[in-house]
Amino acid sequence: MTTDQLYKIAEDWFDQQNWKPFAFQRQTWKTFLQGKNGLLNAPTGSGKTYALWFPIILDYIKNHPDYKTTHKKGLKAIWITPLRALSHEIKQSAERVANDLGTGLSVGIRSGDTSTSERVKQKRNMPDLLITTPESLQLLLATKGYAKTFKNCSAIVVDEWHELLGTKRGVQTELGLSRLKSVCKKVRIWGISATIGNLDEARQVLLGPASPALDNSVMIKANTAKKITVKSIIPKKMETFPWRGHLGLHLLEKVIPILNNSKTTLLFTNTRSQCEIWFQKILEKHPEYAGEIAMHHGSINKETRQWVEQAIRNESLKAVVCTSSLDLGVDFAPVETVVQIGGTKGIARFIQRAGRSGHRPGKESVIYFLPTHALELVEASALQQAVKKKEVEDRIPYLNSFDVLVQYLTTLAVSDGFYPSIIHKEIKNTFCYQAITMEQWQWLLNFLVMGSQSLQTYDEFKKVEVEEDGRFKVNHRGIAMRHRFQIGTIVGDANLTVRYQKGGYIGTIEEYFISKLKTGDVFTFAGRNLEFIRIKQMQVHVRNSSKKSTKVPAWMGGRMSFSTQMSELLRNELYSAALPESQQSIEIKSLKTIFDKQREESIVPKPNEFLIETFETNDGHHHIFYPFEGRAVHEAMGSLLSYRISLLSPITFSLAFNDYGFELLSDQKLDIQEILDNNLFTTAYVFDDLQKSLNATEMAKRKFRDIAVISGLVFTGYPEKGIKMKHLQSSSQLFFDVFKDYEADNLLYQQAFTETFEHQLEEGRLRMALERIQKQKIVCKQCRQPTPFSFPLITDRLREKLSSEKLADRIKRMTAKLLKK
Amino acid sequence: MTQNIRIYDHEFILHASGAVFWKGKATLLISDVHLGKVSHFRKFGAAVPLKAIGANFELLDEVIAYFNPEKIIFLGDLFHAHLNTEWIYFEAWIAQIATEVILINGNHDVISPLKYEALGIEIHDELILDKCLLTHHPEPRQGYFNFCGHIHPAVKIQGSGKQSLRLPCFFKTQDQMILPAFGKFTGSYTLKRKKEDEVYALAEGMVIKI
Repeated sequence: MTTDQLYKIAEDWFDQQNWKPFAFQRQTWKTFLQGKNGLLNAPTGSGKTYALWFPIILDYIKNHPDYKTTHKKGLKAIWITPLRALSHEIKQSAERVANDLGTGLSVGIRSGDTSTSERVKQKRNMPDLLITTPESLQLLLATKGYAKTFKNCSAIVVDEWHELLGTKRGVQTELGLSRLKSVCKKVRIWGISATIGNLDEARQVLLGPASPALDNSVMIKANTAKKITVKSIIPKKMETFPWRGHLGLHLLEKVIPILNNSKTTLLFTNTRSQCEIWFQKILEKHPEYAGEIAMHHGSINKETRQWVEQAIRNESLKAVVCTSSLDLGVDFAPVETVVQIGGTKGIARFIQRAGRSGHRPGKESVIYFLPTHALELVEASALQQAVKKKEVEDRIPYLNSFDVLVQYLTTLAVSDGFYPSIIHKEIKNTFCYQAITMEQWQWLLNFLVMGSQSLQTYDEFKKVEVEEDGRFKVNHRGIAMRHRFQIGTIVGDANLTVRYQKGGYIGTIEEYFISKLKTGDVFTFAGRNLEFIRIKQMQVHVRNSSKKSTKVPAWMGGRMSFSTQMSELLRNELYSAALPESQQSIEIKSLKTIFDKQREESIVPKPNEFLIETFETNDGHHHIFYPFEGRAVHEAMGSLLSYRISLLSPITFSLAFNDYGFELLSDQKLDIQEILDNNLFTTAYVFDDLQKSLNATEMAKRKFRDIAVISGLVFTGYPEKGIKMKHLQSSSQLFFDVFKDYEADNLLYQQAFTETFEHQLEEGRLRMALERIQKQKIVCKQCRQPTPFSFPLITDRLREKLSSEKLADRIKRMTAKLLKK
Repeated sequence: MTQNIRIYDHEFILHASGAVFWKGKATLLISDVHLGKVSHFRKFGAAVPLKAIGANFELLDEVIAYFNPEKIIFLGDLFHAHLNTEWIYFEAWIAQIATEVILINGNHDVISPLKYEALGIEIHDELILDKCLLTHHPEPRQGYFNFCGHIHPAVKIQGSGKQSLRLPCFFKTQDQMILPAFGKFTGSYTLKRKKEDEVYALAEGMVIKI
């Protein structure tokens, strides 16, 4: 069949639907059929599924002209998606085309939700197109004979690549691809990504830097420019609007007319707990919505989620309160309006959420921003600018994630075993491990085989064994089983299943929350009031309760930082407070009373000013610095500064950070002049000092948590099976401490520091911020009480610690205070 | 490095390692060493640093050298799990100390008593010495003072400037003393204290009354 005849098949199908292919779809078909790899930059709901699914089918037709009568069995393409919730949607679209064209191609899903019987069936007979997640792909690589399964796979599509890039699941994907490139001889690799700042890099990471695959690749951009209207919800009375907070319930009544005026509205919240609360409160205040609003977040069971998604599609819901669980995929045509509650901390995410409304081509997207506290209105104003300028941020890919590599190598050892020379070559071609040294590689192999760097007598370490022909292999069944189980838990926190006592699955909840509950406590979850009965075999047993609850599960999500671009926009908005009102945005204008209050004892800084505020409360001495550089930079600067101050004399700090500034809280008063005289904001020795401050705080220790789980040091048990494996349970903290004491050169331990350094603190940005401060005039204000700017900071309870005092001295002072009480 | 306390007119010394020395009886009480835990984890594929094995024995030697006891009573969970190669180190260690050793059974102690007896170690479910009841699990009993372990107690203290610290500790109530875990690779559990409880925290080689 000629290429033109192939296109005709596709064009005819579009005709039958009364659609017309977009230019980017045609372009993707063409380049795919030419045998190229690529990255397709297209937003959700733009028809990207058809852009890549069509050429996969056309390619099959081309190679099998008798496709209508004979079906060639075996896996032909893999579609990787970051969210299992999306797989059904993709399956439906794919099946529709496959059936309409009479190809007889089958589509199957392989994810954490896939039943065991289905898996067994797949093992015997793989579907032609497999839709899967990065974790499930790893699991397939942990299956014996995987090479045969994948042999004839001709295409791999990584959907929503921007969501994976910059995460360890992205690294997992890179590794999986590096293997499949060798196993499937004629495979094309395609990524689909929404707009991010570093699209070119995204393509490199997907295909491998300097790889033949990259050379033979294209970037296709869908020009589906969409008009986005951003509107801020502004409180009527700023005097009574809170200075801090993250729930935004004060403005609940302002949301009601928006809901009434739109067919379907999505209300995006940043955390699941916020989602739960909003859902409850809307129903409480407006019972007339009962049955017309629903809730959607990642911890709710699959059936309920799917029901909600279906209900949005057939327009039977007025509103859905949701979290990032509805960020991606799934085309919801009836959604007319989106409300974002609280800052999203990212422009790309904000734009993406806006795009969930007005989904039909040509329609505009409408998003309302609902501030949860006064200063967030500055953010709202900055967001307007950002959306206008399309200032989307980068997603920074990981480098040298040894934990993921340890996991991957074990995976290969569990299935068919691996030869290091072959795998080394493959991983050297990935973005993540392009710079791995021979020493590091050898270290990892030793770690897998000996659990240390040299063979010790009496040591019974058992994991990977080296066979006579040099193949690395796991032969122990228990180790293989535990490893397979652990692959799925790359995201970390231990989750427990919530069930009614008589059965009936409700969802999953973080162990952290449940551990705080006592029998009889009532908590809100999945929109219900539940009474906690007990934890049994990793399951939380509950019963319905009519009692009012005050406890809402808290999830740790949502502590992201502003990008450089967004921080700059934010500063500019703030500086506009000094301009005449006619030049201010509506949000800034509305903040007048707050600014006035701020000016009573302090200032609203101008571009050339760096503000420091100090005051005393019952908590101690507060010292607040306002660089307005985003949380990441403030974490770095706060650690650096407190470390430098702690060198002057023994002192203990509790640190808090947000996107506007940071606080050093202490029981001692700081002499700000001394800090300035000692030039503690200098860029000299930043690297060294920052590294030392990392040892003094617990940031790296926290980072180590994921590393320990991913690399298989910490085993989380088999929650699904109800086996807790108590004798193997330990905390990552314990591991961190023994590494610190006995094996500080361990690469996994070291990784905790590099990761904090590169991914959390962003040293480069810190330097620039320090240089900017050097040129500013420092304005130090001694206040009698907290200012509006300082309020969100001083009330933040998630804190970092740093101390240069002797433990004994600290205890003595702390206990002395206790006695006084 | 130590703190002295009196119970029933006996003098006890609390050591920063988590051991208690009963002066009048020249006896050392040690709880929850969890020997073999490191090797157990390693056997199951989790690479805990090998050097952590030696640390437990070094610490034991240190305390023995400091107090020079005639007798050591382990208050349970001496070994974390089934027999593994750390037993070899333990045998060697036992062979070179001149002290009598007694083990009170803990929930983790699943190694055959015969193996201990072969090393001359007595095993008991509990032991009563001069109105002091020695057990692994906390077990209040009328008329006795209970020394026990099992809990791995820790205490949380808070101070001005939103400071807070969490430290392993000796936890003493009216008639009970829970010892901290002596083992290096063990966790701890925060206990809430009542007014009348006495807490001695372990901090950087010191024992500090809180």
